[in-house]
Amino acid sequence: MQKHNRHRIRNLSLLVVSAVVLWLLHGLAETALRDTARLSGWLLFGMIVFLAAYNVRKKLPFLPLGSSAAWLQFHIYVGLLTAVVFGLHIGWRLPNGGLETLLASLYGIVFVSGVAGLALSRSLAKRLTTRGNEVMFERIPVYRKRIASEVETIVLTSLDTSESTAIAQFYAERLRPYFSVTRNFWHHLLQSNRPRFALLSEMKAYHRFLNDDERLVMLDLEDRVAAKDDLDYQHTLQATLKYWLFVHIPITYALVAFAVFHLMLVSSFAGGAW
Amino acid sequence: MPTFESIQRPERWSVPFSADMSDKRVDRILTVEPFRTLDPKRFRGKVTLRGILKNDARLLRYGPGDIVVRQGDWGNSVFFVVSGLLRADLGAASSLPGEVLGRQKLRRKSLFEILAQLWNNPADPEVRDVESYRTDPRIGTREVDSQTRIYLQDVSAVLDKYRTATIAVGQFFGEDAALGRTPRQATVFAERSTELLEIRWQGLRDLMRRDDGIRAHIDDVFRERGLKWFLMNTPIFKHLDKDEIAEVVSQAEFDTAGQYDWAESFKHLVKQGIETNLEHEPVIAEEGHHPNGVIIIRSGLSRLSKRYEHGHRTIGYLTPGQIYGLDEIIDGWLSKTPKPLSASLRAIGIATVVVIPTRLIEKLLLENADRRRLAKRGKDARDPLTNSPKIDTTRINADFVDFLVQNRYVNGTATMLIDMDRCTRCDDCVRACATAHDNNPRFLRRGPIQNNIMVANACMHCEDPVCMIECPTGAIQRRVEEGQVTINDWTCVGCGVCASNCPYDAICIVEVRHDGGDFIRDDKKHAPIVKATKCDLCADQWGGPACQRACPHDALVRMDMSDIPKLTDWYTRNVAITLRVMTSGS
Repeated sequence: MQKHNRHRIRNLSLLVVSAVVLWLLHGLAETALRDTARLSGWLLFGMIVFLAAYNVRKKLPFLPLGSSAAWLQFHIYVGLLTAVVFGLHIGWRLPNGGLETLLASLYGIVFVSGVAGLALSRSLAKRLTTRGNEVMFERIPVYRKRIASEVETIVLTSLDTSESTAIAQFYAERLRPYFSVTRNFWHHLLQSNRPRFALLSEMKAYHRFLNDDERLVMLDLEDRVAAKDDLDYQHTLQATLKYWLFVHIPITYALVAFAVFHLMLVSSFAGGAW
Repeated sequence: MPTFESIQRPERWSVPFSADMSDKRVDRILTVEPFRTLDPKRFRGKVTLRGILKNDARLLRYGPGDIVVRQGDWGNSVFFVVSGLLRADLGAASSLPGEVLGRQKLRRKSLFEILAQLWNNPADPEVRDVESYRTDPRIGTREVDSQTRIYLQDVSAVLDKYRTATIAVGQFFGEDAALGRTPRQATVFAERSTELLEIRWQGLRDLMRRDDGIRAHIDDVFRERGLKWFLMNTPIFKHLDKDEIAEVVSQAEFDTAGQYDWAESFKHLVKQGIETNLEHEPVIAEEGHHPNGVIIIRSGLSRLSKRYEHGHRTIGYLTPGQIYGLDEIIDGWLSKTPKPLSASLRAIGIATVVVIPTRLIEKLLLENADRRRLAKRGKDARDPLTNSPKIDTTRINADFVDFLVQNRYVNGTATMLIDMDRCTRCDDCVRACATAHDNNPRFLRRGPIQNNIMVANACMHCEDPVCMIECPTGAIQRRVEEGQVTINDWTCVGCGVCASNCPYDAICIVEVRHDGGDFIRDDKKHAPIVKATKCDLCADQWGGPACQRACPHDALVRMDMSDIPKLTDWYTRNVAITLRVMTSGS
């Protein structure tokens, strides 16, 4: 069996065992009439702080705090375990108070975005290797402009040499908007080639209106359309891989802030012994 | 009629070792022993004695205290003392400290210094402390014949304090590094004004071929100093006693295949687009031929390939210390029928090999071995001759092996490999590197990709570090303890020789700034001071390379390409591929 699969099975097994143990302990504590909400709350808060600390670890790459990969593994499995602790903390019911609803919503967004981010990281990274050249995200606009400029030059040259406006018309109506910005975000994300094939089919169909020279120009443009589509594909996937964190991290900080507020309120109004 | 550009056909001595080697200087050298008594008639054809001295040698002057070579330097030449007197540091318990040789002492940052990077790291890249360049009294530098030299400030004190040996007029030194492509074994400095004749490897080879005296001298010194130690540390000979080792040393044959300046021709090949390098790789042993003996790689790298249809298929590569041909010799000895070699062995760039004759292997190793274990050695997990665990045969995609060998990435001891199936292009590795290195990453996350593995543009800390050849101040050095190739920022003069020698473009020359943000300039021409920079594997940080530690997805690794089992484990960790067994040859 491959190393990563072995690790996955081991970690998932540990997660299940930990969840069952926590559940049993929670049941025992309830039987013993302990304040389980307080215990699970502190545990959950500690876990959330630990999870948030991963971002701090990333900002301190030069400190010998263990590898980021190891941190991420803990981050994933402790993050999954928080779902069980959170469920136990709120008693597996929907929250009703304003602050509780806000906290639960923030937790839900952080949890779901985290799981989604994990799924995206594992699937999109592989997909990036299947189409187009490896390009740096920051350089994609430069390459897109270069292709757009090449296409414009080809069209203008054809206008001079062919004494026909057929290519220029098609360019103005269909290709110019296509080359100007990144297109078909959702199609690329969902691995659909429909827009690419639709445009290329349209270009092929347009061949019947062209003379031999213009057909060669059109073939050249078809290559550029494919290259631009590959670039858009890379842009979409790399942007998604980067920007999901813009949901996950700020909401995490909001969650930590409101959790601290929640703790202060609970402590202020506790009134009795722990 | 076709038109073409014509040039004079390049020949061996089109570019001499030094343009300063005039006829007058050659005449003077020809009056010095042993060159005076060499028989010119033995130098036939184009390779004349005069030609060798004029084109493969140069005269160098050294002042008292000037360092000629440092222990650990990489070089491809031998030195001959024309006049003056030199000292060789005998090392052992007390050897010259690296600091006085212009070496940077490895000092990891303290925990506070590590933390202080958070607020001390300047906003501008490549900021240096100007004072540190001004105030190191231990290092003396001076210009001699337009070359920057590092010298020992107080030679008499050094002689009093450290154990040294003299190298006098008429003596050669540096032959082991020149012949064996190995690091210099001792630091040598001038005790008084000295003139040296430096002969590059090609010239030395021709002198040895044509003069029995020089050959015998160099051969004796080399066998005694280099070969004996090497063979004693080769696993299959470790159990032999002193007399048996002496017998192996006396009968061992030594050979060098390939080009010393392979990096230059490799760069041309890269520009042309590498398709197959086989025609540029000299054959050390050919598939189908009967082995003359066991071949041990002493330095450099070599490719194992098998004929396949109309071409050759790479099946693996050998690194220093690995052996080839032993299986065939054992099979032949067991069956009493000589067995031909199952693959061809070719030098990648340059390889130096030691050949131990078959008869000696049979006598010293096979006759005392357990015959049944030898016959079943294919199934045995341990090597029957050394009883050590066998190097596991690897399961790696053939195209990937070919790609690594073709592009000579197998030269790396810390090659940066990125698994593009796991890499999310987050650039945490790049940011971590920049944070640990003056706000300027020491590598580029780009490079050729094969089988979804990227070999990133980062210093590989090569097995054969050609960047170290010709550094005028010895600023670029290989750390003896940990093996990283690092640059001493204090003594780097920014000449760019290392950057132009590096065949992988892994060294950058950068303009350095002071903490005000402007470039530091020299006090005469006011031109910016430049320094060579490259990956140092985070030698001064804690916990190893920051790039590898920063990768959240376990996609990036710094790989020692000679550790074939580790490479295989890493390569096959995601995918259950067993495409083809890659025999490691030993």
